[in-house]
Amino acid sequence: MLEILTTLAKYGLIIFKNVRRNLLRTVLTSLGTMVLVLVITLIWSVLHFLDNAMAEKANNFKVIVTERWQIPSRMPFAYADSLSDAAAREPGDLHPRDACTWQFYGGTIDPKNRTRENSLFFICLQPDKIPTMVDELEDLKGARMEQLQQIVRKIEEQRNGVMVGSGILKRLGKKVGERMKITSFNYKDIDLEVDIVGSPPEGTRHDMSCFMNRDYLNMAFEDYKARNKGKSHPLADKTLGLVWLRVDSRADFERVAAQIMSSPEYANPAVKCESASSAISAFLESMQDIFWGMRWLLAPAVLVTLSLVIANAISISVRERRMEIAVLKVLGFRPGHVLGLILGEAVLIGAVSGLISAGGAHLLVNNVFGGINFPIAFFSKFFIPVDAVWWGLSIGSLTAFAGAIIPAWSARSVKVADVFAKVA
Amino acid sequence: MANAFARGFDRLVQILFFSGRTELAMVLAAALGFIVILLFVGKVPVSYNVRNLMVRWKTTVMTGLAFTLVVSLMTVMLAFVNGMYQLTEKSGQPGNVIVLADGATDESFSTLSFVDSSDIEQQPGVLRNESGAALCSKEVYVIVNQEVGVAAGEKPRRRFVQVRGVEDPSMAGMVHGLKLRTGGEWFSAGGVEEAAAADDGSSSNVLIQAIVGNGLAAELGNDRPERKPLQVGDTFSLGARTWKVTGILDSTGSTFDSEVWAKRSRVGEEFGKQNTYSSYLIRTEGPKAARALTKDLQNYKKAALNPQVETDYFSAQAETGKQFLVAIIVVAIVMAVGGVFGVMNTMFAAISQRTKDIGVLRILGYARWQILVSFLLESLVIALIGGLAGCALGFLADGWTARSVVSSGPGGGKSVVLQMVVSPEILMTGTLLSLGMGALGGFVPALSAMRFRALESLR
Repeated sequence: MLEILTTLAKYGLIIFKNVRRNLLRTVLTSLGTMVLVLVITLIWSVLHFLDNAMAEKANNFKVIVTERWQIPSRMPFAYADSLSDAAAREPGDLHPRDACTWQFYGGTIDPKNRTRENSLFFICLQPDKIPTMVDELEDLKGARMEQLQQIVRKIEEQRNGVMVGSGILKRLGKKVGERMKITSFNYKDIDLEVDIVGSPPEGTRHDMSCFMNRDYLNMAFEDYKARNKGKSHPLADKTLGLVWLRVDSRADFERVAAQIMSSPEYANPAVKCESASSAISAFLESMQDIFWGMRWLLAPAVLVTLSLVIANAISISVRERRMEIAVLKVLGFRPGHVLGLILGEAVLIGAVSGLISAGGAHLLVNNVFGGINFPIAFFSKFFIPVDAVWWGLSIGSLTAFAGAIIPAWSARSVKVADVFAKVA
Repeated sequence: MANAFARGFDRLVQILFFSGRTELAMVLAAALGFIVILLFVGKVPVSYNVRNLMVRWKTTVMTGLAFTLVVSLMTVMLAFVNGMYQLTEKSGQPGNVIVLADGATDESFSTLSFVDSSDIEQQPGVLRNESGAALCSKEVYVIVNQEVGVAAGEKPRRRFVQVRGVEDPSMAGMVHGLKLRTGGEWFSAGGVEEAAAADDGSSSNVLIQAIVGNGLAAELGNDRPERKPLQVGDTFSLGARTWKVTGILDSTGSTFDSEVWAKRSRVGEEFGKQNTYSSYLIRTEGPKAARALTKDLQNYKKAALNPQVETDYFSAQAETGKQFLVAIIVVAIVMAVGGVFGVMNTMFAAISQRTKDIGVLRILGYARWQILVSFLLESLVIALIGGLAGCALGFLADGWTARSVVSSGPGGGKSVVLQMVVSPEILMTGTLLSLGMGALGGFVPALSAMRFRALESLR
């Protein structure tokens, strides 16, 4: 065992020294590897997140109820209470573990010159459901969860209190504590004055999300009715976007789905019940070709480019060191040793560069740049998962191995007699 | 600063996808002219460089391949975005005005009253046909969640299908500038028909008659076992009903290729928009008249409207294309930087192997700058050949179809089937990118070659 370790250390030292010998080449190869690993890391991070979003989570099974046929879903708010209880009406019917309703309110702070920059969309829900039913926010721990709870309490106490993501605040030029007058573009004449009471804790995708107490929106519809001699707003019975339910398992999902779908209460409009992962998949269906291109065209092409860059560097290195390789053979190094030394050099450069690139991307993108701004459907930004560190290491090592195998094989096959014959 | 960036970005979009052929051709001609000038002033025989490239053919091929891959990828990605822009560009008529409800930026969010429509048709500037009818199509637009059949045990799939309910399909076709393929016909005044009775004489169903865009016909055809596009007479399920194809829209490369058209009253009834319209589409004499009518309708007092020239409306739908373009630029730049490091490696190695050659050249009287030009040319030649190969490879993507979404921002949006377009602008951009990589990657090593002292090189 000790002998093996000693041999490995000896070869490791030679590899390390060889890598340091032509520092310029090592640095250039390493930089090339780093930028290409960065591209792969970014692509895979987006795909990894979307795959995850589209995968069923056994330990957090969420169900989405929406209008059956139409997008955007616009159900009557009268559906809210019964759907929140999964239409349980018989003894023995299953009740969801938790539920919340989402209504959507879009508006601008500058109605005369409405642009994307001065517009925002609110998710209107029960404030106490923000820490329990909203993806990512439900996972917050410790001080960050406490910070969120404080904001929630403020929204409960002050009905026009809203939580606005820091990215939106920056875009609007607003701060926590300020008041905004919002002119709606999805509910004409339902204009609201809101007080910004906080922002979702940093480090989640919710820096581009806005949350409002649903009671405040619903009150605005009541006010409209009072202002218009008892005439309801034309969209008053179409404000409920979706209902989230939490159940324990897929079997429970199927039970609540059956309860809801068989209920006569939801005839016009009809509703549908699907797992959150399935709903997200449906939403992303139109973009599947793009994801296919990213996964099977872009990423492999970058991997091949990376392999070429490394193969090129290693083949140059082998060509320059034919004499040295011949000397090594004379000294007793066997072809396998030479192969190992060359492959070791490539893999060392690839692994270290890949690790630095992916690790650096994880730290910089998540902590300094606040994520990758690449809006897809309702996902505004993406983070580099911690797994990326392993991806970087693996991509760097494997592409280096693949790129170096042919040059290393040619180094292994160097014939001592040929080399010295040329010298002579 | 942000405005300057936005203006710069819009200019880039114009150059890449619309009107940049001349500018890009000039830049490319200048770059190629520069190479030719270098060839003439360089003095070091080009054959020397070419022979060196051929002697080190493996390295040359590998470096060239890296250029090929980077350029071909960029070409394919830009072809996709170009397809999106062409799609939205072709979807609007410059003489049309689309009227939405005030505040709505997308047809799916717009709710207009029945009452205002006849009054709006009477506005000055609205074109009329021979029989005096206003060229106006009153439409309801819904996005329908369609369940896609999957094999047992597979995850359920859905797709979003755009359904446009129109009052008079021939009028709508005329205003939108769309025609039916031979063999099809517009749906009937009622918009429905009885399904043929089954052989066993069982009761028949009422089918909704529909016109289908050719892109969607292909997409829906993929659900059938034979995987052939839908044809006139075929049926499909959408919502709770069965629809029968009475005609296929002739392809225009627009968003309408991905739509289903049916009678407005049937669509409204099926999808809960019975007594409303989503939009009025009005034909005027031309772009100028369309601008004038837009302005007039902005001051319309009886209802709050959001009128837009149709081309402006669809330009705004290209927002998704902008997002993709930004991502592509970032990816292309990062990949190009990687490629530059690869070229540098090759060129530094070439120089270190030819130190003695450089010494001889210097002793023969070649100036330092001529050495620089010689090595720079070598790198540019690899870049040019690799880049052209990349363009050729990327060109294969021309005409590929892909599904995507076009939208003017969050919420709304249209699922579309687009055709990727590799334009001369994209090919020129690819070649320029390749030359830029070659110049950057070759210049630093060439500089170091230039600095060698003759005698030291020969030692």
